Amino acid sequence: MATTTIDLPAAQVELEKKARPAWLETWQRFARNKPALLGLLIIILLVLTALFAELLAPYDYRQTNLDAVEQPPSAAHWLGTDAIGRDMLSRLIFGARSVVFVMFVVATLTFTLGLLLGAIAGYFGGWSDTLISRLIDFLFAFPSLLFIFFIAATIKPGLVESLRSFALANNMPWLTDFVRSGYADYLVVMISLSILGWAGLARLVRGQILSLREKEFVLGAQAVGVPHWRIITRYLLPNSLAPIFVAISLGLGSIALSEGILAYLGVGLQPPNPSWGNIIAEHSVRYWRTWPEMIWMIFIPFAVIASVVFAFNFVGDGLNEALNPELHD
Amino acid sequence: MSNTLLDVRNLRTEFATQDGIVHAVNGVSFVLEEGETLGLVGESGSGKSVSMLTVMRLIPMPPGRIPSGEVIFQGNDLLKLSAEEMRQIRGNKIAMVFQDPMTSLNPVLTIGTQITEALELHMGMNNEQARKRAAELLKMVNIPEAERRLDDYPHQFSGGMRQRVMIAIGLSCSPQLLIADEPTTALDVTIQAQITDIVKRLKRELGMAIIWITHDLGVIAGLADRINVMYSGYIVETAPTKELFANPLHPYTVGLLGSIPRLDEGKREKLTPIEGLPPDLVNLPVGCPFYDRCRFRTEKCLQENPPLMSVGVKHWSACWNYEDVRQQRDAILKRTALPVAGTPQS
Repeated sequence: MATTTIDLPAAQVELEKKARPAWLETWQRFARNKPALLGLLIIILLVLTALFAELLAPYDYRQTNLDAVEQPPSAAHWLGTDAIGRDMLSRLIFGARSVVFVMFVVATLTFTLGLLLGAIAGYFGGWSDTLISRLIDFLFAFPSLLFIFFIAATIKPGLVESLRSFALANNMPWLTDFVRSGYADYLVVMISLSILGWAGLARLVRGQILSLREKEFVLGAQAVGVPHWRIITRYLLPNSLAPIFVAISLGLGSIALSEGILAYLGVGLQPPNPSWGNIIAEHSVRYWRTWPEMIWMIFIPFAVIASVVFAFNFVGDGLNEALNPELHD
Repeated sequence: MSNTLLDVRNLRTEFATQDGIVHAVNGVSFVLEEGETLGLVGESGSGKSVSMLTVMRLIPMPPGRIPSGEVIFQGNDLLKLSAEEMRQIRGNKIAMVFQDPMTSLNPVLTIGTQITEALELHMGMNNEQARKRAAELLKMVNIPEAERRLDDYPHQFSGGMRQRVMIAIGLSCSPQLLIADEPTTALDVTIQAQITDIVKRLKRELGMAIIWITHDLGVIAGLADRINVMYSGYIVETAPTKELFANPLHPYTVGLLGSIPRLDEGKREKLTPIEGLPPDLVNLPVGCPFYDRCRFRTEKCLQENPPLMSVGVKHWSACWNYEDVRQQRDAILKRTALPVAGTPQS
């Protein structure tokens, strides 16, 4: 009853309010946003799929079956088969592993670089700020696709080859497997994406730190003799985490998309290793002519990429609403 | 009194800005004894905060610059120490409490973490010892349920309580000198009184020296042993507190005293404000910086900036015409001449 709550002594209400920790309140605000919740579910499914691809995939993604090519979805092949009879579902499941692998590596690298360089530029200012800010401007103006093509065309073949011979010469079977799996092809793409991708985050972190640095509690910490790195890690970065989380979540979506685009353009993972981008690439050449028949061949991998990108964007928006104090009551 | 704790000599601070060089502090010299309380009074932009931030070496450089001066603290020139040596002194031997308690604490760390920070850094305490000491400190500044409140975040504290936490942080390593930068300005009057009482009591108990920056002569009257009055980066008058109130000998000090509302005054008496604005710190005048606003000004003031001149016992004033000030001030302050203790009669 409403009256009972009103009758509660003020102190008790206060106590109950205090008992609810901050993270729980943030979660409740986040959970109120249904698209964000759906997005989170998709992301969790994606990661689980990537981790347990071997267990989940009904077929070997490389196994061809010329008796069952271009099958429509059926009980045996839930999402049908492609032109040489490979199971589409299995290929999509292993494609999830490719995209999560790329996202994980690129996000880790860009996150580290962006946080580190942004914090240095914002906190220390002076020539380090000038240098890093100009570098950020340069990267923003840089034609990134062209850069990745350039790297892929010039450095990649040599690098992959030397990695392969290094693995053979030193008898390192895990490295040989890694090269054979096709992920070595990705190394170059991932490193180039990271080199280009940290700039946005660094600019955000720099701005956050610049404004926080003027806060009195930073001066207070300096007056107590707290060393610079401790001020950055305990006073500045934790206070700027909310927008950084949002940026990372949105950034992951764009990394997934980049992976798809690069694979589509033939720079990423090489067939027969599956990536959603190269599945679309293979199929779009063949099946746009047969429109409207066989269109699921393009539509299904497309829908998968799109839903992942949307998922990250929804989660980013949800985080933004939940963490930004100016957006909620 | 006892030994000299802090000896500031000819300290200058400048800031390079787009409009030119701002001369924020222009040759400030003063001596602070151990256990003494010094009031630093002046309006906004008079250089009182900047001079103390310079002593702490907390001026952002660039754009800040310290072209000259010595800050001798316990025999060492602080301006010559390395950044690391200076960091060891901050919070340990010299602590500073800032004006705005609402923004002076890190919102994402608990109160306990922020108090123990200095203890762990400077006293080499482990977590447990530091926590115990932090609780003692909170009790010392009259925060109830100290142990429990160590795990609270700043937003769960009121403004007055936060300022007490700031003082607790300042006192955590038992500094020889506490610099309080307008610690009561952002608080309402009853809380101001609480804070000043706490500081007075702690000073008695701990025996540290205090530099109290304020623009409120009322707050400093009951607190300081001596007062430095600052104007556009200069100390214009310095005297023991009683002497300064009874016998102000600089037109600016007289002006400040005239602007204090008084309860014992007639109902319709108007305050006597100081007309005009302080000079532009980028283009300081050759002569006295107070010239434009001064009712005692003469030709000489325009040509030469007066140095601090001894005008009484432990009393210095930077005014060429301090004799005129002595004769006319009581009319301006609308008061009968107060008895002046220990002043040579002229």
